[in-house]
Amino acid sequence: MPKQIAIYGKGGIGKSSTASNVAAACADEGYRVTIIGCDPKSDSSITLLRGRRIPTIMDLMRQGMDIREEDIIFSGYKGVKCVEIGGPEPGIGCAGRGIIVAISLLKKISKAIEDTDLVIYDVPGDIVCGGFVAPVKKGLVNEAYVLTSGEYMPLYAANNICKGLSRLEMTLNGVICNSRGAPNEEVIVGEFAKEIGSRLLAFIPKDVLVQTCEREGLSVIEKAPDSAIAGVYRKLAQAIMAEKEAQIPKPLDDKRLRELTRI
Amino acid sequence: MPVKEKEPLIMHPRPSSIVAALYTLRDLDTDVVILHGPPGCSFKHARLLEEDGMRVVTTSLDESGFVFGGHDSLVEVLEKVIKRFNPKRIGIVGTCASMIIGEELHEAVTEVQPDVPVIEVEVHAGYRDNTKGVIIALESALAAGIISEAEFERQKSLLKEATMVEKRHGAASKEYLEPNRGDLKFRVAERLLELMKQGKKGLNILNAKKETAFMFADINLAVTQTAEKLGVSSNIVNMVNLDVNVGLPKNRRNAREVRDELTQKGMEIHHIIGGLDEYPIAGNNASQIIGEKYSDFDFAVITGVPHALPMDNIKHMELFSITNGPRQVVPLKEMGHKHVVVEIDLHPKTLGVNHIVESEFGATLRELAKDA
Repeated sequence: MPKQIAIYGKGGIGKSSTASNVAAACADEGYRVTIIGCDPKSDSSITLLRGRRIPTIMDLMRQGMDIREEDIIFSGYKGVKCVEIGGPEPGIGCAGRGIIVAISLLKKISKAIEDTDLVIYDVPGDIVCGGFVAPVKKGLVNEAYVLTSGEYMPLYAANNICKGLSRLEMTLNGVICNSRGAPNEEVIVGEFAKEIGSRLLAFIPKDVLVQTCEREGLSVIEKAPDSAIAGVYRKLAQAIMAEKEAQIPKPLDDKRLRELTRI
Repeated sequence: MPVKEKEPLIMHPRPSSIVAALYTLRDLDTDVVILHGPPGCSFKHARLLEEDGMRVVTTSLDESGFVFGGHDSLVEVLEKVIKRFNPKRIGIVGTCASMIIGEELHEAVTEVQPDVPVIEVEVHAGYRDNTKGVIIALESALAAGIISEAEFERQKSLLKEATMVEKRHGAASKEYLEPNRGDLKFRVAERLLELMKQGKKGLNILNAKKETAFMFADINLAVTQTAEKLGVSSNIVNMVNLDVNVGLPKNRRNAREVRDELTQKGMEIHHIIGGLDEYPIAGNNASQIIGEKYSDFDFAVITGVPHALPMDNIKHMELFSITNGPRQVVPLKEMGHKHVVVEIDLHPKTLGVNHIVESEFGATLRELAKDA
């Protein structure tokens, strides 16, 4: 069974950037990787496809296509298989239902999920309804990661995600710190990880190179493979692929969370 | 990329996939079904199904359930059902509301851990063909080890045929179908009697869907009895879809009950054209037999699902069709059925029974035959 992971975290914290760079780094290592974008914005895989937008599952369903695997799976950087679920414009319809429907379809028609070493589900930042946890509930995710900075609000979101995971009796395989340049971030996130019963897997420093590459529709791994930040993503990719202990996270109370960010 | 032919919009309300799943669970001898959704969902059929001995309860999701999820309600109802009814087999059926908000029926089952099999049916009413509800229910029954792979495949191909029958000449054949009460029973019975008196040769065909046979068979019986009274029994050939060796347990039982009662009341069954769940294909069998042996017959009485009978070998006959669908009248007329009679509210009267129930058309024919 492949490693099937989901990276959770507050919206805008850098989940898609992290997911696509980890995907690219793993592909460099020779792993077969699939990335499944679950955000209605459908831009999870864009930097693996040189900026190209691919048709989403929901788009095709809406047009009444008889969907086959090859219609929705696109080969990106070094053969990374890219899938975008898609969904309605903000404020219309029900994006959550879209994810449920697309996940059931994927389960039915796709061998990509089985024929890979790593499947990354890039889930939206805010789990606003039942549909957004469909990949976990339908048993498609076996490892969960939380991405956060050391600021209060992203940590608050990370802590809430841990509440959700513990309710689903889902283990947490690690915390990743995506730095926003706040003081003392690595220590804060490291302590947070320890207190919820997990560990800090990587500290990704703030680097403008990530933005520069994304603007060109590329991952750091592809555009600047020898950069320091590419090295960080490679190390994170190795940590993700390595076997490690995982526990159901114990969320903190809000008082402790505030204290923690005051360090 | 193959684009599916865009299916035309159909505006008239049609049978629900949720209800189809409920009826399927009944055929699988499920004791209690929990509808996970709002209290009024599928009310009418939930009530009727109790006549057949299957209990239907609801988790009664309300606004707060839609917003906060209904897991706790489902767990509570499942526990109560086990305690109160001591069921041997439980079904849990989804609804539009619970499926849209992403309820996982299985989570409640995992939490409660019942000792008896639970068939979890993740279904809503948003499918174009209600047969989808049957297929989903059967898939779950297969997963729960309640039916065999072979039976599942058999059912699936029958349902595909059933869907095609409805698309060709049934409820899914037009953008809008006007409901219609059909022809006056009295006039139609009069004409039928006249033909029989003239010594015309006629086919008397029962092609009923499942338990509806309990009432449709009464019409075929009335035709037999009238022919006997007129001394023209030899002019009538009887064909029925009452094979007792195929289908889910309830359908086999019902086929035997109807067949035995017909035989006991003096109706000779000349041809068995299929089982009670084979109404979509039994018409083809009938058509073949007609082509081989009875192509010179003058009239045909067809009860149940008359539109499943191909027209090729009967188009020159005077056709008397009895349906229970007011929206079936127009398509049947267009096919060339001269007389179309509707037995209104037939289905509810065939639930919870194990004997033939009197039909209005059967009663009319018998009454007219008295003076003949």
